[in-house]
Amino acid sequence: MDASEVEFLAEKEMVTIIPNFSLDRIYLIGGDLGPFNPGLPVDVPVWLALNLKQRQKCRIVPPAWMDVEKLEEIRELERKEDTFTPVPSPYYMELTKLLLNYASDNIPKADEIRTLVKDIWDTRIAKLRLSADSFISQLEAHAKLDNLTLMEINTIRAFLLDSLNCMYKLRSNLQPGSSKGQFMDY
Amino acid sequence: MDTQSYQPVQAGVGMEENFLSLDDILLSHERLPIRTECRFPRLGFLEKSSDTQDILEVGEVTGDNVMGTKMELPLWLSKGLYERKRRVLTIELPKVYREGWRTVFNADPNVVDLHKMGPYYYGLGSQMLHFDNPENPEIAQTLLQTFIGRFRRNMDSSQNAYNEDTSALVERLDCLERVLFTSGQSGLNGFQSWEKGQASQLTASSLVLNYRKRKIADVQP
Repeated sequence: MDASEVEFLAEKEMVTIIPNFSLDRIYLIGGDLGPFNPGLPVDVPVWLALNLKQRQKCRIVPPAWMDVEKLEEIRELERKEDTFTPVPSPYYMELTKLLLNYASDNIPKADEIRTLVKDIWDTRIAKLRLSADSFISQLEAHAKLDNLTLMEINTIRAFLLDSLNCMYKLRSNLQPGSSKGQFMDY
Repeated sequence: MDTQSYQPVQAGVGMEENFLSLDDILLSHERLPIRTECRFPRLGFLEKSSDTQDILEVGEVTGDNVMGTKMELPLWLSKGLYERKRRVLTIELPKVYREGWRTVFNADPNVVDLHKMGPYYYGLGSQMLHFDNPENPEIAQTLLQTFIGRFRRNMDSSQNAYNEDTSALVERLDCLERVLFTSGQSGLNGFQSWEKGQASQLTASSLVLNYRKRKIADVQP
């Protein structure tokens, strides 16, 4: 899976916009949106919000968690805990990137938010490596990773799965007899 | 990812090889030290062609091998000739899998140059388990421990090597670890190019770029 495919899934998240045009309720396959009235907030998917924003037809309201104090709190908690802490949004990385790239004029302290989210991401990735390493070195066969997001899993998936596969095969060498069937005496 | 349309058969790491895997075919050409236990009439050329020093009666008139000849045979042939009950060959462990080297691997797997030792260290080691050596459990254990011991370093170097010259990093890796290294790097590269916004730019497929234009004379009969 590519990072852009994860981003595609993230674009289904809802975000609040303030449109500057009026439009009746629209009926889309994934659900109905609207009605749109100038100056009144309305929830739309991110892909539509960005499209309207680029056509200068709306103003995006940043999500509640995209705030310097809240992110600082999350960062401190993330550094303190050994396990992964819950993140504000399952697509926090993607949403930060999309909103900050296309609507940074609507988001207060955009640069600080970018730095904070990057810090959170780096902390979590370092933690992920550490836990992957102890997972491998203790020869575990399963693990529970509740609060990881799709993007985080996706960056390490190919490598971790291939390694676990190799480890499993090297480990099954230890139990002779399981694969001896194909090599018999004639 | 321009390699998506090309999906080579992966090497089967454990005791079974994948028939169509190119890596496994190359692995099965690794030479093993063996001793013959019976006569092989008219097969003297096998031994003469081997590059190693053979201190035996070479070049008899009949070309037969003498009992107990020491020679080297590729893995695929030794595997085919080996039988548990009827003694045709005895297979000796290559040096890397013997007691002495196993101690080195157990001490610190990170210092060993597996490419020089292998380059199919894990694959060949797993294949050695077919030959009912009394040291089999220790060999399997060492292979596993070596892999685990080198995992962290492999992971860190592959996931931190963005747009770097990686030849120094992969120089000492076994072929299996190199495959893992590339997959670790592709995860990192995919994420980085997305973050920089390169993923949304459309580029021509490498297949199309490398495709030469056809001349009309070639197409028309």
